[in-house]
Amino acid sequence: MENFSEVIEIFFSLDNFLAIAMGVVIGVVVGSIPGLTATMAVALALPFTFSMQPVAAILLLVGIYKGGMYGGSITAILIRTPGSPASACTLLDGYPMAQQGHAKKALKAALYSSVIADFISNIALIFFAAYLAKIALNFGAPEFFWLICFSLTIIISLASGSMIKGLMAALLGILLSLVGLDEVFGSQRFTFGNYNLMDSISFIPLLIGLFAIPEIIEFYRKKALPHIKAKASGAGLSFSELKRCLTTIVRGSLIGVIIGAIPGTGATAAAFISYSDARRRSPNKANFGKGEVEGVAAAEAGNNGVAGATMIPLLSLGIPGDVITAIILGAFMVHGLTPGPIMFQENLSLIYALFMGIMFSSVVLLLVGNVAIKYFSLIADIPKSVLFPIVLMFCVYGAYAVNNDTFDVWLMLAFGVMGYIFNRAAIPAAPFLIGFILGPMFEDNLRRSLLIGHNDLSIFVRGPITWVFIALTVGSISLALYRFISARREARNAAAKSKKV
Amino acid sequence: MNKLLGSAYLAACGSALALGLTVTSVSADEWPTNDVRLVVPYAPGGTTDVLSRRVADLLQQELDTNVIVENRPGAGSTVGTGRLARGGRDADHTILMASPGHTIGAAIYPDLSYDPIEDFVFLQNMVDIPNVMVVPADSPYESVIEFVEAAKEESMTFSHSGVGSSIHMSGELFKTLTDTNLTAVPFAGSGAALPALLGGDVDVSFENMPTVLSHIRSGDLRALAVTSAERSEYLPDVPTLSEIGEYNLDQFITTAWFGLIAHNSFPEEAQSVMQDALANVMEREEFVDFADQLGAEPGQVSGEEFKQFIVEDLERWENVAQQAGISQ
Repeated sequence: MENFSEVIEIFFSLDNFLAIAMGVVIGVVVGSIPGLTATMAVALALPFTFSMQPVAAILLLVGIYKGGMYGGSITAILIRTPGSPASACTLLDGYPMAQQGHAKKALKAALYSSVIADFISNIALIFFAAYLAKIALNFGAPEFFWLICFSLTIIISLASGSMIKGLMAALLGILLSLVGLDEVFGSQRFTFGNYNLMDSISFIPLLIGLFAIPEIIEFYRKKALPHIKAKASGAGLSFSELKRCLTTIVRGSLIGVIIGAIPGTGATAAAFISYSDARRRSPNKANFGKGEVEGVAAAEAGNNGVAGATMIPLLSLGIPGDVITAIILGAFMVHGLTPGPIMFQENLSLIYALFMGIMFSSVVLLLVGNVAIKYFSLIADIPKSVLFPIVLMFCVYGAYAVNNDTFDVWLMLAFGVMGYIFNRAAIPAAPFLIGFILGPMFEDNLRRSLLIGHNDLSIFVRGPITWVFIALTVGSISLALYRFISARREARNAAAKSKKV
Repeated sequence: MNKLLGSAYLAACGSALALGLTVTSVSADEWPTNDVRLVVPYAPGGTTDVLSRRVADLLQQELDTNVIVENRPGAGSTVGTGRLARGGRDADHTILMASPGHTIGAAIYPDLSYDPIEDFVFLQNMVDIPNVMVVPADSPYESVIEFVEAAKEESMTFSHSGVGSSIHMSGELFKTLTDTNLTAVPFAGSGAALPALLGGDVDVSFENMPTVLSHIRSGDLRALAVTSAERSEYLPDVPTLSEIGEYNLDQFITTAWFGLIAHNSFPEEAQSVMQDALANVMEREEFVDFADQLGAEPGQVSGEEFKQFIVEDLERWENVAQQAGISQ
């Protein structure tokens, strides 16, 4: 490359390194505080980037984004309170691990899979951006619809245990996701005239309530239980464990990359899809949800895989895929840069300098994350009688911080009661959340496709991408049915045998 | 553990400081006697938010006091605006960045708790962003007339960023005025709507200028017209819709306007201090550059004129909402 020296010159400045380091630190800290999301941190940091050099400005925001993605998992694992929506999936196995005295292991698994996923995502951004961007443009509403269908079939695997309870939870999730304004007509659905519900049920209060509050109620209910001292959280992650998770991490990262490259899906969905996929394939299937390290790895790989990939539509097409990239787009524009094909012609050196910075941010994340784990994992050793009141305070604060509104605090408490009932009745939370996240996407893309196609159903089979996803969906359902039938047959044979005996 | 909490607290404070939540005292008898709050009735990250943060930064320097941005999102912009309308203790130090959501919200939500005109004082229109009528590059339509004629024959679709957005309402206005077969296709924000337009899934859109300007320049989208009264300096060769002269389009003049308003109890002295400060902000090079990057034109009106502008804007959207049957 002819202007290699220019790239080096742009990139190797103290400002850039400081920006990345500060960004990641702010991201990890803010991301770990429930209710304060990476999105807010990026928005709040934006005015400070106005006076910075463009590369440093963008790298600061990217650093916050990446740090925040990981930071959310810390509180998810330690106190069952997801710091950000995308880490809700991480707590399904992360928190049980911490309960069993493996907090450090869970945190390390989350960190390493985040960093690896981040790295893979960056590679995808740097080498396949143009190609993936083209796919993203061909990904219209019908394609989206089938992607969601396929994702829903993967998720069938999560409803194991009691299929009925799983389905009930999923349907309840979908039902609650209907609250708010209808996307097409703008009419109110189930808002009961309450303006707080018009923008649908806020996700963060729901998450905090669903996960953190039941633990607190449970603790006070059987207050007498002694605190099991788990020795700061146990050992770290061994190399063999990491190796065991590696395929899962890579697969999760790729899921994250694909979902991140398509504008509008988001890290939370990626985490759940990656988690379900890992569970379906794992030999330790039964251990998922009870403290399986692979589950933590899958969830974090899924959500961090998104981080680099959301930059693909942003840089190559100028399309922000989520709110954070929309803010980053704003930062580009403030500096007189317009992401998109033209930037690749006019500011190529700057883009390569950015790429170097983004790669470097993965390394910083690894370092910062390790330091964070060292201190944060001590939380696992705090007696619960001291910890839980603080957690409760954070829950209230976190729910309030989302919209600066007490309504969300009540909402959070209501979901806390619901979560407690879920726990007592052994209703799984994962299908509920998936219903809540994917339900609206399913509906919106179905209706959008019909609008685009003027109610002609042929739009659903309009091209190769739809065909691939239809085939995958059918295959996935067939496989589930086959397993179900053969399991029943086996059970019947076993019963017949035992009768004979 | 105390140590741990202490260091966590320090870290939190550190990041809060880094994020600009600094507090200093002000000593002056004249307004402002306190920190000024700038309410953004939308979530962080949108155009209104980005613009507000830029304005807050510059206003802070003009007023020599802290200007704290506070996001109060919900139900279009009506939740944040409703709060402002209730007044209260800090109403004399609170301003709000209003946008078309202010008038469109009032047009489509029938039971608002406030009067969008009488409950407020209108300080300064900061910027105007025109919408652009764009079609995909491979679209057969080269002009508005060609498009309208085709859309009278067959049914067409337009994308928008959500019910009640200026993009949506512009589409509905176009449909009403030209009496064409246009179907609205909603997306969750412009980011999600844009690929459908670039990929040719929808036929047309009335997007905000900053969202599509680079795509027009790169040739991925074709601009047929701009919605403002005058041609945009960013797209001097593109006609305005009102220039077209046919199909009632001479009535089509809209812009996404952004301006600061306050509760109607906002003291008069404060109004003049604020208006002077905002006029200074608008003259500053940083602001001009920023507006330029947004593809925005500096706002033209303030005070009573701004109020009159809002009254007309409200009327227009009430008509559109009624004719398009959009009302919650």
